[in-house]
Amino acid sequence: MTIRQTMIGIAGLTALCAGSVNAEVTVLGWPGGPEEEALRVVAEIYNARPEVAEEDRVDLLFFGRDGFFDKLQADLAAGSDAFDVNLLATYSIGRYAPYMEPVELSDQAEDVFGETVLSTMRFEDTQYGVPTDLSMHFLFYRQDLIDALLADDTARETYATISEEYLGEAMEPVAPDEMTWRDFAATALYFTAAVNPDSPVRYGTVLQMKNLLFNIMVFQSLPRAYGGDWMDDEGNITVDSDAYREGLELYKLLYDAGATPPDSLSYEFPEANAAFTSGQVAMMVQWSGAAGALLDTDAAPVTAEATRSVAPPAGPEGRFTHIHGLGLGLNANAQNPEGAKAFLEWLSTEEAAVEYARAGGAPGLTGTAIEAVAEERPDLVPLGEYASDYGYVMTGATGANALSVYELQAREFTGYWGGSQDLDATLSATADGMADLLKD
Amino acid sequence: MTRPARLENAILTAPLVVFLLLLLGFPTILDLVYAVSEVRFETLRSPSFAGLSNFTAVLGDPEFWRATWFSLRFAIVTALAECALGLFLAVYLAPLLRRAPWLLAILIMPMIVAPAMMGLMYRLVLHEFIGPLPNLLYAWFGTSPGFLTAQNVFTTIVVIETLQWTPFALLLFHMAYQSIPEDIREAAAVDGTRSWRLLTRIELPLMLPTIGVALFVRFIDGFRVFDNIWTLTGTGPGGSTTSLAIYIYVAFFRAGEIGEAVAASIMLFGAAFVLLFAAARWSTRGVR
Repeated sequence: MTIRQTMIGIAGLTALCAGSVNAEVTVLGWPGGPEEEALRVVAEIYNARPEVAEEDRVDLLFFGRDGFFDKLQADLAAGSDAFDVNLLATYSIGRYAPYMEPVELSDQAEDVFGETVLSTMRFEDTQYGVPTDLSMHFLFYRQDLIDALLADDTARETYATISEEYLGEAMEPVAPDEMTWRDFAATALYFTAAVNPDSPVRYGTVLQMKNLLFNIMVFQSLPRAYGGDWMDDEGNITVDSDAYREGLELYKLLYDAGATPPDSLSYEFPEANAAFTSGQVAMMVQWSGAAGALLDTDAAPVTAEATRSVAPPAGPEGRFTHIHGLGLGLNANAQNPEGAKAFLEWLSTEEAAVEYARAGGAPGLTGTAIEAVAEERPDLVPLGEYASDYGYVMTGATGANALSVYELQAREFTGYWGGSQDLDATLSATADGMADLLKD
Repeated sequence: MTRPARLENAILTAPLVVFLLLLLGFPTILDLVYAVSEVRFETLRSPSFAGLSNFTAVLGDPEFWRATWFSLRFAIVTALAECALGLFLAVYLAPLLRRAPWLLAILIMPMIVAPAMMGLMYRLVLHEFIGPLPNLLYAWFGTSPGFLTAQNVFTTIVVIETLQWTPFALLLFHMAYQSIPEDIREAAAVDGTRSWRLLTRIELPLMLPTIGVALFVRFIDGFRVFDNIWTLTGTGPGGSTTSLAIYIYVAFFRAGEIGEAVAASIMLFGAAFVLLFAAARWSTRGVR
């Protein structure tokens, strides 16, 4: 073979390989959980559709969860075209928007997901993604313990004494779906062995207080119920408010009273689940994604049968749950943008959303879409309902620096809870930092 | 050297030189550019010159000094604890290790564990409900301290680091102790020297260079600590476990302050270089 022939051969092979790389829609998904399983299933369904051309078939790409968003940011900033479609999260849309293109949804999208859920994938009124999974918070509690408290007059007297001592008023126990945050605190204190030696469990609740941005998302429904927000309509930072004061003080009161484990300052999702399923905790506010594990008798043999969930407690301004979505959006440097757009549009149809839910995903669905999966996935029913009724996103929380704001709050708030700084200094430093981060 | 030989050497070393230039030279130049630029992820390819503002911003950031103080304190405490414990074990276990040298392999096993894994492991070990240590304490005493509370977290991570890296000091000191000629000990014994005096006046002075090296290596390792703290407590309540390496990581990836993060890393590099240079001078003088 001559050198010329060899070169032609290499060029041909290179073109073939390049062609095969272009002849697909590469989707970078959220790895290692039910989201990956569900995405694999819908990708197979999509690829089997007769109208999908071979060059537009979906190929999935996953890498580890650890540092996922940091790696994704580095990839996007470097102008990577290794994927056409990539994962998005509500709190990071503003950060990724400069490297992404808006997407077009199907005509059914509004009926399938509802306005609140669709808005979790929007930045500056532009739709950057198709929502796939919805996260929010539930109040998980032990029905057996609450029933015993409500039925016992002596326990009610103890409850009133404890609430008067710690919260300044004699309170009556109430059912979880009627709880305000003060009821939550009183109930947590009642079920705390350090406060009430007769408590059947060691702790009334387990708070996730690690210096971690996700824990602030769990916390902030409390100040939100008192009217708290990041900023007002004029763009003024409003975190130094009575609402945040109330929330931060309530957490500190519970921590200092021993109503949550002393190591709560290092707790996040798995530690809180482990504490609750040990049978030594009466209730906790936790991510909706924990429902599967907490209600599974194999995963939580001690507590699963008695565990129930409702929306988080209410405050003077109502009942709220932080919501955020995971979704898929279009990389601005996509090699196959048309194929990617077609896939994303299909993903926002009822057919795709229902299949995604059946395969283990957790989309927030409404209307006929949720009816179609309600029997197989009863846990998804409250997702759509709570998202519509109680869901909120703080003003500015989809901005380019939203993650940094959460990081800042996590550092400052945990400093207060840990006792290294006072409340005034905490709120002042948080407000100053937020003003700097959100000034644009 | 003849001209053909020089040419041959140049050809043979060229791949290595190119490799090093690409691997080290390019990132170094890029770091220097970013350190004097206003740059975020959005402007990675179009940084704008900002003079020394990144350096002044870092030097004016109380978090930087807090992280520096944390790293310094952590490095000093762990280096001293590891070396003291390692020295004690090397001397105390010397007769045993002489008879059963395979025991050394078991003693140095903690070093094999990746620091990040160590952090994850202790997340489980110290968890009140699933960790063996709190469970044992509850079973024996009816209570268990919060190992990772704001008050106890520094002590806990110092102990974890010490448990993992004392074997390193033990290994060095064991070798140094074994290398002391037996005839010196025999001569001292003939002169009636007691054990304590033998240790403090003869053996320890002979081991001093090794002790210095061990302290220095452990100090450097402690100062740049990242993995185990990051996986165990992250930045800690109120940022109380933010080491300098964690500060740089957070500034770079989480806050997107790339210029400031790179400026901080250059200052860290400069401080390490001065320290290494001083140590090298000290050790060279010791040899002379």
